[in-house]
Amino acid sequence: MLKISNVEKNIQHAVVFPSINLELKLGETAAIHSSTNVRTVLLELLSASKPLSGGSIMINNEQVSASNKVYFNQAAFLFLNDGLYERLTIKEHLAFYQKLYGANETVEEILNLIQLNEKKRLRVSALTFSEKKRLLFARILFQKPKAVILEEPDQNVDLEAKKILSRLIRMLTDDNSCVLVLTGNMESALMVTKRVYRLDESGLHALEVTEEKEEETLKEQNEEIQQVQPVKFEKIPTKVNDKIILFNPPEIDYIESSEGQSNVHVKGQIYPCMFTLNDLEQRLIPFGFFRCHRSYIVNLQKVREVITWTRNSYSLILDEAGKSSIPLSKTKMTELKEMLGLK
Amino acid sequence: MNYTIRRTMAIFQKDYKDMMKNLYVSTTIVLPLIMAAFYGRTGVDTVDGYFLVFNMTFSVVAAYIQASLIAEEKEKNTLRGLMLSPASTGEIMAGKSLLSFVSTVIILFISAIFMRFQPADPAIIVTALVISTFFYIALGTLLGLVTRSVMEASVAILPVLLFFSFAPFATVFMDEYPILKIAEYLPNLQLVELGAAVEAGGGFEDVWSNLLILISWTAALLVAVVVMYQKKMIDK
Repeated sequence: MLKISNVEKNIQHAVVFPSINLELKLGETAAIHSSTNVRTVLLELLSASKPLSGGSIMINNEQVSASNKVYFNQAAFLFLNDGLYERLTIKEHLAFYQKLYGANETVEEILNLIQLNEKKRLRVSALTFSEKKRLLFARILFQKPKAVILEEPDQNVDLEAKKILSRLIRMLTDDNSCVLVLTGNMESALMVTKRVYRLDESGLHALEVTEEKEEETLKEQNEEIQQVQPVKFEKIPTKVNDKIILFNPPEIDYIESSEGQSNVHVKGQIYPCMFTLNDLEQRLIPFGFFRCHRSYIVNLQKVREVITWTRNSYSLILDEAGKSSIPLSKTKMTELKEMLGLK
Repeated sequence: MNYTIRRTMAIFQKDYKDMMKNLYVSTTIVLPLIMAAFYGRTGVDTVDGYFLVFNMTFSVVAAYIQASLIAEEKEKNTLRGLMLSPASTGEIMAGKSLLSFVSTVIILFISAIFMRFQPADPAIIVTALVISTFFYIALGTLLGLVTRSVMEASVAILPVLLFFSFAPFATVFMDEYPILKIAEYLPNLQLVELGAAVEAGGGFEDVWSNLLILISWTAALLVAVVVMYQKKMIDK
């Protein structure tokens, strides 16, 4: 059982991630999708190469610490840049792992599992990157750990290796190990498990992953309607130099019109948009946007504060890093109050 | 204990197979053998001549193999996997040192045969050579910890090779420059001095001071290795 409780990490002034909790029971698989930086930090904490800022990481009630051999006997790591002894043959390499871990499995059994049987007399240096990854994974099979922590297990590997690896991961969970995959690629996270989390400076969030089958039945039901209705386009196009960038409405903080040009503000960046404010208002009202001023449309989900300056002048303060303030006209204030159910 | 031996042997065997296929290392270690064969044929039979080859063997085999074994693990990112395995640091180091030790003993033995070296008192000479081997393995470990790749280790071994093989020639200038007398306490000169004393018919009572100095050098270097190891591990 892998248990991460109240673990947080700050580096200098920046929050890498705030206090997070995650519990994996034996036989469970989870994936954490994050940026490379966050992933490296989390791995350093899990492998005890950096101290915890707070909280605890336990595997079967063994606390993580560089001197705790029991923890490391129960935890297996597959790092992205792990190396192999390139001059040994594959068979020699596996025999070394077997002796090192004092494993009961024979070299032949593992060779069959990673499907490198016909190449066993080749040197490791003659293998492709994907085959090396399979050989690295063999170490975990000899170790038989309680918790397996994989860093980008299928980055840059071929289809064959992907299939073998995902089968081996399933085999490990069937053998009552828990598996934690750390990756920056949503696709590889979804390949191993439905339990996907996103980890960033705002914390650990579970992602809702709907079953494909459910979607299919839904599609069938909606098929008739869909035939009549054209697919509704719900992206806002903006233009930067020659490129067209599409934004999901919920990403947008607010839109401002200046000198006849509407500018879309996303995370402090400004992107010019080719539509007029009136067009945008029509499109965005279903997404919870609000025309708060003659030349502003705001995403109401992002509004934190309504400030009253005088009886006739108001501002909206947004909940983002810049804390932008947006004017709110008097007539619109009454409309907003109605929307909020205040009058 | 049984597991400790099994893991140490696993690392020893792995490193042995790896070294045999590593042309870099395996060609370097024949160097003292060529030197010994050359000396044997040309009829060098002075103590200085024998011990020049022995001292060279120590730097080229004991120190260099040890340094490159450790540096390569770091270079190829395999050390972390080894550290996270059930093998302890002691077992990893023991496995590697065992390989350096065995190769040094073999090379020393063959070069002694090549040079037709017949010590007057084999027991003392063998004891002194074994203690020296430990000294150079510790030196190699230190170099391996400091360097980051086999390339770096190969370069770092050169001054060691020159210094420890040819420092005995400094004795020539000792009368002229008294400051060089300090060099007499170096482990390599102590070894040569010991060899000369044994050839002159000295027994254990004549050379115990040399042995003691050799042992203290080895002990001091082992302490340095432990300190350096801890420093490097915290750095990571």
